[in-house]
Amino acid sequence: MGSMSAHFPVRAPTGIARRAERKLSARERRRIVEDLVLLSPQLILFLTLTVVPFFVGIPIVLTDRSNFTDPEVNYVGMENFTRIWADPSIARDYFPAVTRTARFTLLNYVMVYLFGLTLALLMYEVGFRGRFFTIVYLPRMLSGLAVGFIAVMLFAESTGSMNLLLLKLGWIREPINIKLERGTTIALPILMGWRHAGYNMALFLTGLLSISRETIEAAIVDGATYWQRLTRVYFPQMIPSFIIATVFCLTGSFQVFDMLVALGGMVGNKAAEFVSIVFFLHAFQRNRMALGLAMSLETFLPLAVIGVSLQRLQRRLAYDV
Amino acid sequence: MSNMRVRESRHSPPLRGGTVSLHAVYRRVFRVAVGGFFVVYSVFTLIPLYLLFVRTFVSTKDATELWLWVPPAEEINMNAEFGNLAIYYNLDPQKVKKDFEIPASVYIKPSWTLARIGEEYGIPEEEIKRYFGPFVRYNGWLALLSHVQFFPSVGRTILLTAGGILGLNVLSILTGTALARLRRRYQMFVYNLYLFQTVIPIFLILVPQFVVVQWLLGLIPGYDSPGLVRQTGQLVMLVIMYAQGGALSTMIYTSFIATIPQELEDAAEIDGASRWQYMRYIQLPLMKIPVASLTVIALTQIWNNFLAPYVYLDAQNTTLLPLIQSYAGQYSTNFQAIYTGVFLSALPLVVIYLSFRRWFIRGVMAGAIKG
Repeated sequence: MGSMSAHFPVRAPTGIARRAERKLSARERRRIVEDLVLLSPQLILFLTLTVVPFFVGIPIVLTDRSNFTDPEVNYVGMENFTRIWADPSIARDYFPAVTRTARFTLLNYVMVYLFGLTLALLMYEVGFRGRFFTIVYLPRMLSGLAVGFIAVMLFAESTGSMNLLLLKLGWIREPINIKLERGTTIALPILMGWRHAGYNMALFLTGLLSISRETIEAAIVDGATYWQRLTRVYFPQMIPSFIIATVFCLTGSFQVFDMLVALGGMVGNKAAEFVSIVFFLHAFQRNRMALGLAMSLETFLPLAVIGVSLQRLQRRLAYDV
Repeated sequence: MSNMRVRESRHSPPLRGGTVSLHAVYRRVFRVAVGGFFVVYSVFTLIPLYLLFVRTFVSTKDATELWLWVPPAEEINMNAEFGNLAIYYNLDPQKVKKDFEIPASVYIKPSWTLARIGEEYGIPEEEIKRYFGPFVRYNGWLALLSHVQFFPSVGRTILLTAGGILGLNVLSILTGTALARLRRRYQMFVYNLYLFQTVIPIFLILVPQFVVVQWLLGLIPGYDSPGLVRQTGQLVMLVIMYAQGGALSTMIYTSFIATIPQELEDAAEIDGASRWQYMRYIQLPLMKIPVASLTVIALTQIWNNFLAPYVYLDAQNTTLLPLIQSYAGQYSTNFQAIYTGVFLSALPLVVIYLSFRRWFIRGVMAGAIKG
């Protein structure tokens, strides 16, 4: 994919290179203008749709705006931010949602390794199997909505195919009810692990392939057991991959939305009310737009900060070799 | 394997004849075991998809039984009550009346049997059986395909996907060309700006983005009343949102264009080509690989996108996935139609995926390496 590796953040040239930059010939100046013209179409779109909203949000969140066409918008200061604790009717929806989302994220994280790392290690040790990879990656072609409906199809209380199958085989004694919280806690992470197995496997496989074979062979010659090889040779050299997987799992799990809509999160299924749904309900359905915005800032801004920090950590580690 | 002589380890002196080391034996067994595990896991992965296909044929009535294959066609019983049929097979009474030319004002009582309806309105028995037969078997398919918005929504999905992919690639190529080799300060600034996009959760900017977009759309004359302007405006806005690009598109093109030797560009310049001619005749033909990689990733993302159409498109102007979702109401849900819709929405992607496997794998690796 090219010899240039991505630096984040990219650093400006210093010293001699910088001084040499000062004098620009006419040709270079023309080229810079051309480059700026090439940049601008996509950049204008990106700024308008992704960067400007950051700033537009600030005046909105300090008001009591209820929706886009609200005729009477009043300034309320920071009230929206504290309302999440202060107002019991909102806290009753919000905090359980945080718990559910956190629990889901944690179990998801386990599944990432259970599915992805196991398969990657197996593929690494026996050699790449193209057909197997194709099949494992297939579920990623489904939409989140599809996965949600598949969850209902498999685990509905009386009609779930998986429930009926497992009951018939005698593996479980009562159905896993997707409408109850216990059911979603078990079923959803497994389905997510199933869905993203291919991607996580590819991620960890690229990490494994970047390990220098000499370190592995040295470990074998020194008589290390497989477990020792894993923990002392493989994993330390795979830390950048682990960090990437963590970032994706964290941000991805908190942003799950379609799947929850399919499970009925928007129409009253409490087990499917994660933070994304609670935010969406308040911002768009219950006409509390400004409050919803405050909610999203309080929930997702820390997430973004953690994501950026982890990403920076990973860049730094990847170049410490 | 009993006739194979085994030496103790790979460090023991070699035996002559058909022998292998113990280590190699272990390895062979391990390989076979893992191969078997791969087969088992493959089956496990495909089971939900197979069950999905089967369930599109299982009616509500039969749904409490386990079906591992398509249920057999049931003979229509003329003594079946119309009301039961309506519930079990999601019949729309209005449509039934229209198809049999029964006046709409007539109320068909749920307790009437099919035989009675046939008698009352002079409809021969075979015609009744022929009409209701497919409903019993292909319930979900009929309900979905006869929905007035089904084909339009598929068309819109295709339009948005094609437009989004085209727009994204064109704009990202321009951006990548402008940012290649990252020598100047402003290039690095813009590059980092795009890279930020991966860690911005969509819900963080959804509300203000909605406000900005609605304000922009409101500037179009004629947007506020329902009609072609409104619909087109919404669809075009979505295409623009897909084309705005982000971390992945920028990284793919910037790193790829940097691999094109500077000498090529210099040679073109010496020969008198303008920048534009260089881009069109020399650079563009070389870019098949990043275009393919980005296209397969964007294809899946745009086709399966639910949030943006759900938020920004009216119900009569929406794409396939929100349409399927609309079948899941608060009080009654036509699951067969939903499963059929889910299956149909996944089918094109699966077919494309299986046909262009290599591009997808390359795209995945590009995305995985991107970290």
